[in-house]
Amino acid sequence: MSEKIISVENLTKTYVSKAEELTVLQGTSFDINRGDVICLLGISGSGKTTMLNIIAGLDAPTSGRVLYSGENIGEWTLDKLYDFRLREIGIIFQEFYLLEHLTALENVMTSMILAGKTENEAKERALELLEQVGLRRKAMNHPEELSSGEKQRVSIARAIANYPSILIADEPTGTLDSKNGDEIMNLLLDIAQKRQMTVIYTTHDPYITKLAKRVFLMQNGLVVENGQSSFDNIEFDETNFKYKFKGDKT
Amino acid sequence: MMEKDDFVSSETRNSFYSRVFHGFLFNLRLILKNIKNKKRSTVIIIVGLVFSMSILFTSSIWTNTSQKIIADDYIETLDYEMFISTFLINAMDEVYEFVFYDPLVKQVDWIFPTVALFNYEDKGPFYRWYPEENQENMTNPLSLSSAFIVSSRSIDRIKLNLEIEGNATLNSGEILVSYTQAKQLEKVYNETISPGYVLNVAITRRIPNTDMGEHTMQCYDIEETSYENYTISGIYNYVGHNSIIERLVGGGVAGAGGIILDSILFPAEDMTGVDLFVMDSNGLLPRLLIKTNAQLLREGGITQMPDNLLALKERIEIRFYHSFCYILSQEIQTMADEYRRAFSATSLFLPTIASAIFLTVLSTQITIKRRREEIAFLRSRGAASSQIIGLFFGEFVLISSISLVLSIGFGILTSALIPSFGHGGFFSTTLFVRYFQYLEISPYEIEIFAVLVLGIYLGVTLINVISYVRKDIQESFLITRKGQQIVGLSMKIAAFALIIAGFVFLYLDYAAIAKQSYTFGFNLISASSKTLYAFIGVIFFGCYFTAIGINYLLKNIEGIYKRIFKRRNFFIFRNIKRSRKSLTDLTFFLVLMVCLLSSFIMIRSTTINNIKAEDAYRNGSDIRIQSILPVNISEYEEMIDSIPGIEKSLGFYSIIASIGYQNVEVFGINPTDYSNIGRWLDESFPDVNSDDALADLGANQTGIILSKYTSERLGFSVGRTMFVTDFRGGPFYMRFNVSAIINSAPGLGVAHGHDPKMNRITSEWALVNEELFTDLGVENGTLFLADVSDGADIEAISDQIKALNPLFIVNPDKINPDYIGYFITDYIPPITVILLIGAIFIDIIAIVYVVISTEFILEQRRREYAVLMALGGRQSNIRRQLVYEISLFVLVTIIVGIPLGIITTLMGLSFLKPLLMSQEVVTMTLHIDVVALIIMIVTLIIAAVLGIIPPIRKQMKYEIVHELRALT
Repeated sequence: MSEKIISVENLTKTYVSKAEELTVLQGTSFDINRGDVICLLGISGSGKTTMLNIIAGLDAPTSGRVLYSGENIGEWTLDKLYDFRLREIGIIFQEFYLLEHLTALENVMTSMILAGKTENEAKERALELLEQVGLRRKAMNHPEELSSGEKQRVSIARAIANYPSILIADEPTGTLDSKNGDEIMNLLLDIAQKRQMTVIYTTHDPYITKLAKRVFLMQNGLVVENGQSSFDNIEFDETNFKYKFKGDKT
Repeated sequence: MMEKDDFVSSETRNSFYSRVFHGFLFNLRLILKNIKNKKRSTVIIIVGLVFSMSILFTSSIWTNTSQKIIADDYIETLDYEMFISTFLINAMDEVYEFVFYDPLVKQVDWIFPTVALFNYEDKGPFYRWYPEENQENMTNPLSLSSAFIVSSRSIDRIKLNLEIEGNATLNSGEILVSYTQAKQLEKVYNETISPGYVLNVAITRRIPNTDMGEHTMQCYDIEETSYENYTISGIYNYVGHNSIIERLVGGGVAGAGGIILDSILFPAEDMTGVDLFVMDSNGLLPRLLIKTNAQLLREGGITQMPDNLLALKERIEIRFYHSFCYILSQEIQTMADEYRRAFSATSLFLPTIASAIFLTVLSTQITIKRRREEIAFLRSRGAASSQIIGLFFGEFVLISSISLVLSIGFGILTSALIPSFGHGGFFSTTLFVRYFQYLEISPYEIEIFAVLVLGIYLGVTLINVISYVRKDIQESFLITRKGQQIVGLSMKIAAFALIIAGFVFLYLDYAAIAKQSYTFGFNLISASSKTLYAFIGVIFFGCYFTAIGINYLLKNIEGIYKRIFKRRNFFIFRNIKRSRKSLTDLTFFLVLMVCLLSSFIMIRSTTINNIKAEDAYRNGSDIRIQSILPVNISEYEEMIDSIPGIEKSLGFYSIIASIGYQNVEVFGINPTDYSNIGRWLDESFPDVNSDDALADLGANQTGIILSKYTSERLGFSVGRTMFVTDFRGGPFYMRFNVSAIINSAPGLGVAHGHDPKMNRITSEWALVNEELFTDLGVENGTLFLADVSDGADIEAISDQIKALNPLFIVNPDKINPDYIGYFITDYIPPITVILLIGAIFIDIIAIVYVVISTEFILEQRRREYAVLMALGGRQSNIRRQLVYEISLFVLVTIIVGIPLGIITTLMGLSFLKPLLMSQEVVTMTLHIDVVALIIMIVTLIIAAVLGIIPPIRKQMKYEIVHELRALT
């Protein structure tokens, strides 16, 4: 039996503004096992990013809880939450969020420095990681001198620098063309597989789901899974403007 | 057809106006909404503008208002400003009438100088009274005194210079008697004379000519002018200096004759017209005392007063060719000059004003930078460039209007508040209220200053907005970013070179004038002010290039950071090294502020230290004794020496003589005693030390010590024989041998030049051996210095010295209390206060700048912090790292800024002395008030760190997700 690493229980998230209340997640529950490669598929605004943020401890749910190895992360102290983000989670953003005043090498070193590594240790490892993502020769370039694909590679290198258990990627191919997208996804999953990391990524592109072991559909604030991983089983419901599994009448 | 055309054109017109109106309303709403949404930025800009403008307005309102008050108050302290005499006795009534109706004249009073007799009743017409000390009956002698017949009204003015025991009234049947005359009367009547004493007095209708043998009573012609049972309403001592009465009749110490010290005042109302006519006919010429209208006299400004008074004199003298008008022009000129000097000194506030304007420019730039995204949004929505510029212009108009109103309000308030704290540092409600009563606002100056500050604000706003709105303009420059930087830097270097050249030129000009000047005249003050203006530019540019150097250094010392910050070095060093969003932007202004702050503190402490040293030097020794009337030197030396605690005293014999046709006060001293008692300085003698110089004088009985000025003027070197001529009441000339050249001496001040803080009557003195005075038969003097033994109670000794003679003044707080500079400082804070206020303002400006800039830079880094926290960075670590980073900049700028401040101070002191003091008696040397410097710097650091904590906390409060989403 696989080990449960993440359990999401009755998670709700409501954004309250002056104008309205917007419920993004409506009491959804699911489990993720260690080594899983999960894809969250949904149209824009379906709550994919919110879900990832709550799992990564960047955001708090309105109700419900997220358990990491059986512990409710909502009950953790701030310090424990920082440690969790620093050591257990690697995050890849759609917009890369590289620090513009740092070189590619220094961006990769950042998370290791935050984790307490010395500059020399961090530098040595960052160079190895850049080698792995094929960017060793551009280690001294600043983000503005890199293409989108290259920036995402740096972002991946930064995310895996502290050997996290879980790799969270929010639309990692969102700003890339299909060729670059494929390359990035293959690189990401290849590294994850080698390191036995759990991967949770989101996308609005059904084609990308084919790389996942499990696909969750985000529908009306709920997560739906039917145990099939092939993107051939997914179709777009133009009437309700959402993705659904073939044969699913809801 | 016509109707249709009319209708169409009317409709077109209406719709055009309507469009304009609605467009205006729409834009106005947008502007108000912008201001409402950017409350904080708006407040910062308004505060900056109000701060800059109100400082300028304060200086303008303060100048205009205070000169009115100073002029009015000073004129009020003078008894009169003019007296008129004429040799055509019968014309005096006509002169009176003419003067009375002159608009500048407020009051005209008669005065008859004559003589009064006491104890005359039993003396027959042939009683021989001359000489008074050896008259016919010395067992029951006659007493003579000068008498001034004045109207009872005029006593209200004359009494301003008198210290009166009893009543200051001169009603019918009353007389006022001087202290000296009262003492003489005590001897004559053998009774105590005090206010209320009743006696008989005779006023003479003519004054006998003793040279022609008129030595008997009948020559006085007193038959009709004998007044019985007159009451002494008061006994007075003359204590004034700058008065018409003194000039008219001969005054107190300065006049040496001391006529007014031995006199009486008699009510003119008690004299008959016949008596006055007879007195006129006998050559006792009446004079007119003229009091002017201060408000009209100061018309055109305080500096116009001497000219206005001179014009009145000329009007009278042209109308009456036989008249002579004496005016207190020198005193009023001195007042106007001291006022100019005091206000010239306020130009030291200029660096603060420049910093305040600079702060406005920087905060405006920051605010516009913050709104780049807003401009981009408006552009993306199709807003025309003109519309965007129009919106910003509209905001400018609104913000400027509010700032202008507030600035005028603050300007008025502070211009009344600052002088209300006056010289003593305590708030005076009276002075505060008076400033409002006298309030003078010059619309012209307000307009100039408003245009200057608001123009800079508008210029900076428009240049930034246009550059953001019309990027194509920048792109069309066909010049790379690096090229632009090179061009910018080249222009700054060129401007710096020009400023340096200007500064050097002005400094040389100053140095040339200073070389030719023995005192700090107005040419020198003007040259000093001009050099200061250029120097401010040098400081600004100097700090700018120093900041470039500091930033370069900071970006290249990673090894040091590693040692200091350990693992935090990674982020701190890279934040310092970055070209954008870096705190290196703060370096220039912070270096400038620290440099100015430390300069202000050091110049202030140097000035205070120098004033103390000079006052001690002017005082001369442990104890200084000044006598109102000349006293016997050897007699009093003995008495003073006998007081327990006194080691040795030294009296100064004095006599007026001439050297090279110039009046000189020759002091006779005991060189050995003077050498031991006086607080001599190294710079007292230019070439030798004081002990040697005085020993040489002692060894050379015909030796004389001359001022450097005289020795250069007449070519007298040491060892040379020279003549001193025209000893008043003594020989026509005497031969001396120059034994030393002197700059100044303790107790006497500068050897050449007018030192307004001293009470000397000549601007030149010389020292000779006291034996010379014994030979001449001169026994008197007015000055003593004394040395006390260690631990002696100076207060108790002073009291004992005062008991020797009531006319003695011991260790006076002010040697010359009538020095107009003391009067001015009641209205215009002295330079030390101006420098202190300047330093406090600079501290505030620096703190405001640190807080504004840090907040702006931190806000630009918001996404970076969100990313770091998303990656697992701890808030506390990021916060600490920021505090370290900011502290590093503040510390480095302080470490560099203070030495820069010392250099600035040393350079500044080389040409600022005329603005800091009226006379450099003791050479000014740098004095660093470490405590004040530490207080100011620590205040700056603490306030800066405390100021940046709220923005840092604010940064940390943002939710990571919110930040990442918002900034995507």
